[in-house]
Amino acid sequence: MMKIMCEKMTILQAAAVLAVLLFLPGMVPAQEEMASAIRRYKDREASSGYYEEYEVMPRSRRIPVGVRGVGREVFPHSPSAAKVRIRTRLSDSHAGIKFYWNWRCEDCHVREAKDIHTVRANLTCRQCHGNEPIASIDHYRSPMNPIRRHAYVCAKCHEGASASFSTYVVHAPNPAMLSTKSSFPVLFYVFWVMVAIAVGTFVVFLPHTVMWGIRELFQKGEKR
Amino acid sequence: MNSETKNRIRRFSPVQRFFHLLLMLSFLTQGATGLARMYIETPWGKWLSWIFGGYESALTVHIWVGIFMICGFVIHFLYVIFKIDWRNFPGSLFGPDSLLLQPRDIKEFFQHVGWFLGIAKAPRFDRWGYWEKFDYWAVFWGMVIMGCTGLILAYPMDSTRFMPGWGLNVAFWVHRIEAILAMAHVFLIHFFIAHLRRHNFPMDRAMFEGSVDLTATRHEKPAWVARLEQDGKLEDSLVNESKIGRRVLFYLVGYAAMAIGVFLLAGGIINSPYITW
Repeated sequence: MMKIMCEKMTILQAAAVLAVLLFLPGMVPAQEEMASAIRRYKDREASSGYYEEYEVMPRSRRIPVGVRGVGREVFPHSPSAAKVRIRTRLSDSHAGIKFYWNWRCEDCHVREAKDIHTVRANLTCRQCHGNEPIASIDHYRSPMNPIRRHAYVCAKCHEGASASFSTYVVHAPNPAMLSTKSSFPVLFYVFWVMVAIAVGTFVVFLPHTVMWGIRELFQKGEKR
Repeated sequence: MNSETKNRIRRFSPVQRFFHLLLMLSFLTQGATGLARMYIETPWGKWLSWIFGGYESALTVHIWVGIFMICGFVIHFLYVIFKIDWRNFPGSLFGPDSLLLQPRDIKEFFQHVGWFLGIAKAPRFDRWGYWEKFDYWAVFWGMVIMGCTGLILAYPMDSTRFMPGWGLNVAFWVHRIEAILAMAHVFLIHFFIAHLRRHNFPMDRAMFEGSVDLTATRHEKPAWVARLEQDGKLEDSLVNESKIGRRVLFYLVGYAAMAIGVFLLAGGIINSPYITW
């Protein structure tokens, strides 16, 4: 009797394990690969160097923005956090902003919501910046971090995007503005040199052409 | 054939006219496809892009016609190298038949302006006026600037192997401003000087027919005609006026190009407040 009971229990246990295996996601190489950073480094990066551009973890996990009296590991989710102006290295770049869920991206990011990617390619903000919580672009786990942006963001549309390619400034400043002189000086100077060439051409040739036309129109005798 | 009926001087060879025709057609196509992309936020831009099969197709046409223009430019450059009078080089570069800008052109420019104002005599232009030389070199360097920035933008994966990605931002604005300058110059200034001023009205057929009216040229380019007479080359340079059918075709093509150009310019100006710059 006991033997029969044990056999039934074994069958039930096996069925339970089988059921669990059926409903759990299957093991895939990627999970195994990601399980050990050291193994991944030895297997992949040290041998090929392929991943080293964007798979490097920072030396310290310290959050660069420190708040007195508050632990470093967790950024304070409090109204005072909204006063923090440097938000480029947070795991949640909008942490502490009051009534955040009632806002839309373009309510605050007015200029960023109007550039070629959004206006012409019809991209939405979250297609690049990810879902909530949206990490700061320089947060070490953010897909927008420059060390992996090309692979995690740009390559979604621009197949084969390199780290160099990803330095394209999607939210480029207005090249005509004086503030661009400090934020993107090459663009500022090249823009104004080109504008000077264009304006110079028309300053010379528009009055020249008008005067020529009038002179010939009112000249007596032969066409000249 | 009786030389008395030959009342026009040969000015452009068939190859040169062919270059101009290709340039004219490709320039208009590039202008239309480029503006279709630039003005896609407006109904006008959407309509323009619809002609070329949509926003993406307009870019495909723009890129391939751009490559065609670059090839044409390279062929033209080789043609220019071939046409240089190497036996009299480098003196030939500074002769009256050369398109190279010379100090004389600056003097003639100011004298011409003086004539507009009624304070100087009209300059005695030779074969090429300063405005014609300016047009030629504007297109020449414009092709270099537009071709380089166009290739950078058309193939960003390849170009960013040799330059940082933010160079695309810079190339984009150089391409855009140069394109606006080129279109505005051609559609306003070139069209007016070449076709609409009294001397050339209703149209200067030189680039289609290859020749210019002798009487009119005696007035506008007296030094050229005098030089041809002095060298005894005038008789050989005279040709007949083309037949009426061909002239009608020249007018149709020329005015169609002008109409497209003015349409693009006007549409661009009217819709400019409604796009994201």
